[in-house]
Amino acid sequence: MRHHLDDIHVDEDENEINLTPMLDVVFIMLIFFIVTASFIKESGIDVNRPDAPVTESKPEDANILVMISANDEIYIDRRLIDPRAVRANIERLHAENPKGSVVIQANKKSTNKVLVWVMDSSRNAGVYNISIADQR
Amino acid sequence: MRRKHGSMGAEEEENEINLTPMLDVVFIMLIFFIVTATFIKEAGIQVERPDTVTADTQDDASILIAISQTDEIWIDRQKRDPRAVRSIIERLHAENPKGSIVIQADEESTNEVLVIVLEAAKAAGVANVAIASDNT
Repeated sequence: MRHHLDDIHVDEDENEINLTPMLDVVFIMLIFFIVTASFIKESGIDVNRPDAPVTESKPEDANILVMISANDEIYIDRRLIDPRAVRANIERLHAENPKGSVVIQANKKSTNKVLVWVMDSSRNAGVYNISIADQR
Repeated sequence: MRRKHGSMGAEEEENEINLTPMLDVVFIMLIFFIVTATFIKEAGIQVERPDTVTADTQDDASILIAISQTDEIWIDRQKRDPRAVRSIIERLHAENPKGSIVIQADEESTNEVLVIVLEAAKAAGVANVAIASDNT
């Protein structure tokens, strides 16, 4: 009989002990989800800014046309421009025509690096309204 | 020995009462974070992103599209056909309507493929698209 009573006590002890590892698991899962909820940060250049209205650029606004050729040469107003001078050129054109947006006509074979470089220079120059057109 | 067990039992009863509301709070927080966590599907490949200075952090990026150096499109750890990109974006967008698209295009990828992906995103009805870059 005493053996049976001892067993009952052992069962009660097991119920009390089980809460501790369960709390450990629950806390670890909670901390995991809290941390991963804010962890993934991608940085990138917005192609469509959500706050800018999605409108077709009017032809009256003389847009700043940048052309990228197949071998990654940058042409503004049909003149070959050095990559480091792109920002200054866009600043100048933007000062002459504040409403104009930048339209990048990129050749199919041009690389992403040059496209992003032009977009970055344009944003640096203060023009965030950029459209990308494909030369077909 | 049994008395000690008995007195320990009385103290442990007090501990058990304190644990219950704490468990309630912990479980509710856990369920909250599980529900609000959205899982981002990794694209599947690593790319060399172009360098920029004006990039913004993309906080609600949920669809990742990678374009490799050789113009392969990778979504959700699989190489995809360019013609299928639009329906894949529609499906992923339906799973998480607030999520934005981030295109991780390699520096040396051509703009032809980038424009295909951009047009597929526009056709699928997702306005918030960004191009990933290495920001300094």
